[in-house]
Amino acid sequence: MPPKSKKKEASPVATKSKSKKEIVKDDRFQAIVLTDSFQTRFMPLTAVKPRCLLPLANVPLIEYTLEFLAQAGVNEVYLMCSSHADQIQTYIENSKWSQSKNSPFHIATIMSLESRSVGDAMRDLDNRGLISGDFLLVSGDVVTNMDFSKCLNFHRAKKSSDKDHMVTMVLNQASPLHRTRSYIEPATFILDKKTDRCLYYQGIPSVDGKKTSINIDPELLEDIEDEFVIRNDLIDCHVDICSPQVPQIFQENFDYQTLRSDFVKGVLTSDLLKKTIYAYITEDSSEYVARVESWGTYDAVSQDILARWCYPIVPDSNLIEDNSYNYEFNNIYKEDKVILAQSCKIGTSTSIGTKTVVGEGTCIKKSVVGRNCKIGDNVIINNSYIWDNAVIKDNSVLEHTIVAANAEIGANVTLNPGSVIGFNVIIGDNKVIGNNVRIVESQIVREGDDFNNSFSDSEDEEEHAKPAVVIPDFAVEDIDLVGEQGKGFMYVSDREEDEDFDESESVADSYSGMIYQMKHLNVSDESIASISNRRTKRRSHSRNRRYSANSMISDGGFITDDDGEEEDFTKEGVATVARAIENNHDIDTALLELNTLRMSMNVTYHEVRSVTVQALLNKIVEFVSTDTLKPQEAGTKIFNHWGPMFTRQVFSSEEQVDLLNILEDKIEQLSSSYNQVILFLAVKTLYDLDITEEENILEWWDAKGDEAEVRQLTSKFITWLQEADEEEDTDSDSDEE
Amino acid sequence: MSLITPEIKSLIDPVVSSLKRHQIEGDQEIALAIAQLLMKVISAARWTNTYDLISIIRQVGIIIHKAYPRKIIPGNIVRRVLALIRDEIETEHENTPMMSSMFSLLSTTKCEVREDHSKKQMSDMRAIIIQGIRDLVDEITNVSEGLETMCVDLIHDNEVLLTPTPTSDTVLNFLIKARTKRNFTVLVMENYPNEIKKAHQFAKTLAQHNIETVLIPDTTTYAVMSRVGKVIIGTNAVFANGGCLSNSGVANVVECAKEHKTPVFAVGGLYKLSPLYPFSRDDLIEVGNSGHVLNYDDFELVDNVEVVTNPLEDYIPPEHIDIFITNIGGFAPSFIYRIVLDNYKVEDNKLE
Repeated sequence: MPPKSKKKEASPVATKSKSKKEIVKDDRFQAIVLTDSFQTRFMPLTAVKPRCLLPLANVPLIEYTLEFLAQAGVNEVYLMCSSHADQIQTYIENSKWSQSKNSPFHIATIMSLESRSVGDAMRDLDNRGLISGDFLLVSGDVVTNMDFSKCLNFHRAKKSSDKDHMVTMVLNQASPLHRTRSYIEPATFILDKKTDRCLYYQGIPSVDGKKTSINIDPELLEDIEDEFVIRNDLIDCHVDICSPQVPQIFQENFDYQTLRSDFVKGVLTSDLLKKTIYAYITEDSSEYVARVESWGTYDAVSQDILARWCYPIVPDSNLIEDNSYNYEFNNIYKEDKVILAQSCKIGTSTSIGTKTVVGEGTCIKKSVVGRNCKIGDNVIINNSYIWDNAVIKDNSVLEHTIVAANAEIGANVTLNPGSVIGFNVIIGDNKVIGNNVRIVESQIVREGDDFNNSFSDSEDEEEHAKPAVVIPDFAVEDIDLVGEQGKGFMYVSDREEDEDFDESESVADSYSGMIYQMKHLNVSDESIASISNRRTKRRSHSRNRRYSANSMISDGGFITDDDGEEEDFTKEGVATVARAIENNHDIDTALLELNTLRMSMNVTYHEVRSVTVQALLNKIVEFVSTDTLKPQEAGTKIFNHWGPMFTRQVFSSEEQVDLLNILEDKIEQLSSSYNQVILFLAVKTLYDLDITEEENILEWWDAKGDEAEVRQLTSKFITWLQEADEEEDTDSDSDEE
Repeated sequence: MSLITPEIKSLIDPVVSSLKRHQIEGDQEIALAIAQLLMKVISAARWTNTYDLISIIRQVGIIIHKAYPRKIIPGNIVRRVLALIRDEIETEHENTPMMSSMFSLLSTTKCEVREDHSKKQMSDMRAIIIQGIRDLVDEITNVSEGLETMCVDLIHDNEVLLTPTPTSDTVLNFLIKARTKRNFTVLVMENYPNEIKKAHQFAKTLAQHNIETVLIPDTTTYAVMSRVGKVIIGTNAVFANGGCLSNSGVANVVECAKEHKTPVFAVGGLYKLSPLYPFSRDDLIEVGNSGHVLNYDDFELVDNVEVVTNPLEDYIPPEHIDIFITNIGGFAPSFIYRIVLDNYKVEDNKLE
């Protein structure tokens, strides 16, 4: 491996006369490719294959990135691999990049199996000491035809004029609703108008065309002398030229996870670091830059490649040696030996791989069909991606779907928009697969906390062990889904479970829904909204204040609404408390977490109380429904142990009343067989713990009286309260059952 | 494929990848790169028989063709070299029969002698072929010189010329050379949307050489045509039937020219002549970046429009061209097949 920084020091001495910034004199230019996205958006398919090896227009995604690096004149490429590292390594070893002597660069894979985020990968990189100068940092899913030399010149010019310059980000211009824009991590850049220096980075919690506002801390704007622009029309494709300090900064700030929301933001807002970040915006309309980071962008980028927006990176440039695509008018690409029936119709923007057979009367439009596929008669395929060796039988209809390699679709099957058919899945005849249904070959097993770990382990097993027998639990449901002859399971994204996961980052990113965020499609997932709202929560940590004056309405004509946030807090809060109960945290920790959450989401104590109540009740219900404990025992246990949480959530008598009201409301919704007991226990425990005082309990009671059924048991307690003046009576006397 | 040894492959690969990436700009550069490559291949390849060499070159030709199927030039160069080798074999054979007939009178072991003889000749052969390629390289580099000698005869004083191919260096040199003897006006078409910058640069260079230059938008072609004395077009490739490939938009211009009976001159080096026939237009024309036609930022349009096509070339049928001006002289389109026969061998038309 190259010596770390020796070489770098040697050259500036020679050219000292010119200027100190000539560090880039090192003739090697390195590139780091992050092959892992550290996300699960492409689940369930990424359980079998890493994202960067998924075919995009029948070419593995990583080829596009490597092609770009070759164009860019990079000399050394390091691929940071974590999940499925072995597959990536095998692929690279057998590819033209490492085999032929004439490979434009030296390529090496770095096994960074421990990495769970971009931050981890960068820290690993720093530990290995591979970086010898400015380097290019790209993710393994970038598709671009941009003229990198211009960008490099920009970087060098900025570097010589600003010695604090650290990162140049490459951004591409595109309107906010553009199809290749990521809807999951939208962001606004605030740039200096003259110098293109990035002053501030702000993610926007905007999703499927709803709310959009950003908050800018006025303090940040104080230092700015010149005019600045706020731009929401930039595609951030994660192509960065970084100086060697970047991995070091990640090392110093061990909590940095992501490149943008942690690192860029951290650097820009840091008072100590005083480093600058510039944005290079591609101007030429023929320059195309995009990332494949979700199903939505997968679809968009595929279409763009077929429609030659990324020329000269088009299917007929045959990036892989044995490809033989040929262009025909209306963006139809065919390889050799494609067998098309006389009466089939191949519409615009379609690519068909070699040895594929298409039957009579079949219509294919705006789709990519892989190699060795068999497509029957009278099939309709629209906007779909069919990978190698798939079989589609007669009269099926595919709209906006992905059919992975070796899958088999029976006759008369309808695949509705958004469905994903996993590797080797078989769908029986006459089935209808609903919107956004994802089917996998076998259950993806995940165990508790170590979500990523078990995840990558299970993948390997899956590949080898193909369960012949359907697991009984799911058999009923799945036969409904894939039919008698079928093979496959419904894949449910474990978002609910994931919420237990500490790192809110990965919670947000674990979103793996198949969404086509195109306007003409109904996006039913409210989940995206909640996710990006959750991200906001993290972002706004430092800034609780909201400056409505500064809020920027983006040109999409969005409406501002904050409801999402509260709703979101409910989820998150309940999860926090539930986790505390589950793991038996001490109350202080639980409260601290809850409090942080409250501050960051800017909600009132009322919400905090209600989530706590909700979580406690959930637990009780769980105990009762699983028959572990009787309602009475469960109630006593939970309220005695966790009741003290309320001491720091309730401060005034009004709040005590409020708490009781919440309790009553929530308990009322429980099963009527035991809700009376629970309410009684709750009120009693709160009274015993001195959280609620006598007069407040009475006030709450009097507000409604004892008509409600749920109050029946409690009424005796109230009577007792009213009568008894002295406290130290027995608790158990008034016991009734 | 067995003919392609790893050494040869390592020679070809960089050229193939730069062709694939479109990193070599300009037809002349591509032609030179291919010629240089073939020279290296011939000196690196191990062959005992000239026919082996021919099959090696053919294999190389196939690989190069696949790297950039829509470019005609690489194929031309490969075929030129093949023709060169075949010519050498022919002259060889012309010599040897004489010799062998002499020998045969004296010796009965005729075959052995010939084989022995050919082995000795092999290194000479190599040198001869490489020299032949060197000459070809010279021819390619000096294309403009050959053209320039003709310009004075073709351009008159105070004439108005129109050129719809501002990307062609050949046209540029042709005009600049003509300026030394003649005084004329050039109308330069912008050639939107591809390489407008180059068009502007072209106009600027002409103006710097004291030529009265007017840059006009493509739409005004028909309106100005009545005043134009000659249309001068650059070519990307010339086919055996006399048709040619030129920049997109040129087909319209020559159509206008025909309407006005304005003569059309096609300018191009000999290396652009191809022995192929243009059977299907679809297979000839390179389609470029859609981003030049429609701004990708415009989401509404990009998303709703069915197909955006940006053809980079137009096929000009032979009846729309009056004369081809090459570095070896001017020819009518109908005569091109003759020139092709002089420079290529029919057996190499199909490389596979």
